[in-house]
Amino acid sequence: MALNIDVIKAGLETSVQDFPGRYGFWEQGFPPSGPFDMWSFRLANILVGNAPEAAGLECQFMGPTLKFSDDCVIAFTGAEMNATLDGETFPMWESVAVAAGQTLACGFASVGARAYLAVSGGIEVPQVLGARATFHMAGVGGLEGHALKDGQSIAVNGGAGVPGRKVKQDCRPKIANGKQWQIEVVQGPNDDWIAEEGIERFLESEWKLQARSNRTGYRLEGPEWIFADKASSKGPEHGEHPSNILDHGYPVGSINLCGQTPIILVNDAPSAGGFINPFTVPSAAFWKLAQSKPNDIYRFNRVSVEEAQEMRRGIDGLCVEDSIE
Amino acid sequence: MKFDQPKYLPGGDHFILVQFGDDASIDLNFMALGLTAALKEDATKGVVDTNPSYNSLIVEYESDDISYADLKIELARLISGLGSVEDLELESRLAYLPAMYLDPWTRDCVADYSEKIAPRDYDPDFVAEVNGFEDAKQLARIHSGTEHWVVAVCSTPGLPLMRALDPRCAITSPKYNPPRTWTTLGAIGVGGLSSSIYTTPGPGGYNLIGRTPVPLWDPQQRLPVFKDRVVLLDAADRVKFVPIGEEEFEYIEARVADGSYEFNITAYQRFSVGAYKKWVASLNQDGRF
Repeated sequence: MALNIDVIKAGLETSVQDFPGRYGFWEQGFPPSGPFDMWSFRLANILVGNAPEAAGLECQFMGPTLKFSDDCVIAFTGAEMNATLDGETFPMWESVAVAAGQTLACGFASVGARAYLAVSGGIEVPQVLGARATFHMAGVGGLEGHALKDGQSIAVNGGAGVPGRKVKQDCRPKIANGKQWQIEVVQGPNDDWIAEEGIERFLESEWKLQARSNRTGYRLEGPEWIFADKASSKGPEHGEHPSNILDHGYPVGSINLCGQTPIILVNDAPSAGGFINPFTVPSAAFWKLAQSKPNDIYRFNRVSVEEAQEMRRGIDGLCVEDSIE
Repeated sequence: MKFDQPKYLPGGDHFILVQFGDDASIDLNFMALGLTAALKEDATKGVVDTNPSYNSLIVEYESDDISYADLKIELARLISGLGSVEDLELESRLAYLPAMYLDPWTRDCVADYSEKIAPRDYDPDFVAEVNGFEDAKQLARIHSGTEHWVVAVCSTPGLPLMRALDPRCAITSPKYNPPRTWTTLGAIGVGGLSSSIYTTPGPGGYNLIGRTPVPLWDPQQRLPVFKDRVVLLDAADRVKFVPIGEEEFEYIEARVADGSYEFNITAYQRFSVGAYKKWVASLNQDGRF
């Protein structure tokens, strides 16, 4: 019998995602989507013995309640959501055998913000542009284009998994409740629109994550920006405000300055627009964004392009079978 | 202004922004699209995606396959191979898209905005006035009198950023401030130097002048034109709007719904920048349709 998962309660925003998401279609206006914390997501797939591209669930702030129609192996990684399986505490970062008819229930995230659930075989939904990832703002991918809803049923591909595998402690992302995060940034592409003292102020200040943040953008609150002369002496085609620029493409992760409000453009962001991007958060720091909560405090730590690439390789090096004990 | 040498600016660990200049000269977009075509032709190792705009091109790359420094060298090599902008010849399909100008649905959008956010005039009247046209009807005549160049497909899936190729049909207009919270799907808008078509119902800042009944993207790939692709247009394609009335709008809408709509897209021409510029130079640019 094919395995189905019944969605008893959908949780706050639970979506089907795959790695690396809808990659390579930025020129058609499609964001990458995919898991926000790709480190935790990949480890969940490895735990249950899935291929890296197998689709799983991203659970935001409050996870779902799910009932499994058949035996399978699952793993839960990322944020601590105090999950239970038929009322018994469910271990994180470990592959666990689930019997037909059992129910996994999640609560609110007590540590971190996003948890990832992998099921042996992977979730089966149609691919759009080669990916199963959900881009729910446009109704693309995932389960009918959107986050899960109560009462839906999720199909899972057949696949055997091995229970009892754990991720080594030092191979997991250090998700903590300190509310203070050091986030790496690469300067550019439009850092020349900010005055030198504005660059220093950005790097020396604390930035508070606003509640109006989601998989499209992370809004930050902090001190005023100081613009370079260039930002006010530009041609009229660039727009009126110093943060306006003639429409251009946006790097994923760029810190998009909309008036005085910086918005970090994340997995489901628009691919272009008319605001400057003085800094960019590299992919290696995305797991920290994914695991932070509104009102958490960011401080930004400038790194070079090459350092950011090396950090990404470091994380990739942990998303491997060797990280399992 | 076109820079003597393009600028290469980093965007985190896997993007680079190539800027050809700092204004809205259409030559800069031609260069960005020439580089896009050259990257595809060259199949440069490590390049995974491109994202063009008015005067720049974002290139996404895989740093395990190419370093940032080597990517800059490869880009500079391809750019010098493009020659001058007049030498560029770009693949460019021409899509005829039905458009009902001065339609009732975008009128509803303006009314909704006036009621909820701030009172404003009917957009086509406003755009006609700021451009010195006789009336909204002339605006429709001018907007449908030119081929529109697809500068980029960006922001939301399949959304074309377009500018008029015929300088006699150039329209400029300020954008909404604050933006609309709701826009009808398929609405045709103008803002800044550009025209666009809303591919998702949602917020927006362009002045609305019409609406098309045809989809510009289809994740279900239902209509035949979407057999091998999800979005209708690519950057460097051209769009010609074909004015229709309400009856024809409803007819086309029904054919889209039942899956029998045939798009009219020609693909037998290439776009020669040199020939285009020669033609522009020959025009009486003060002429208006």
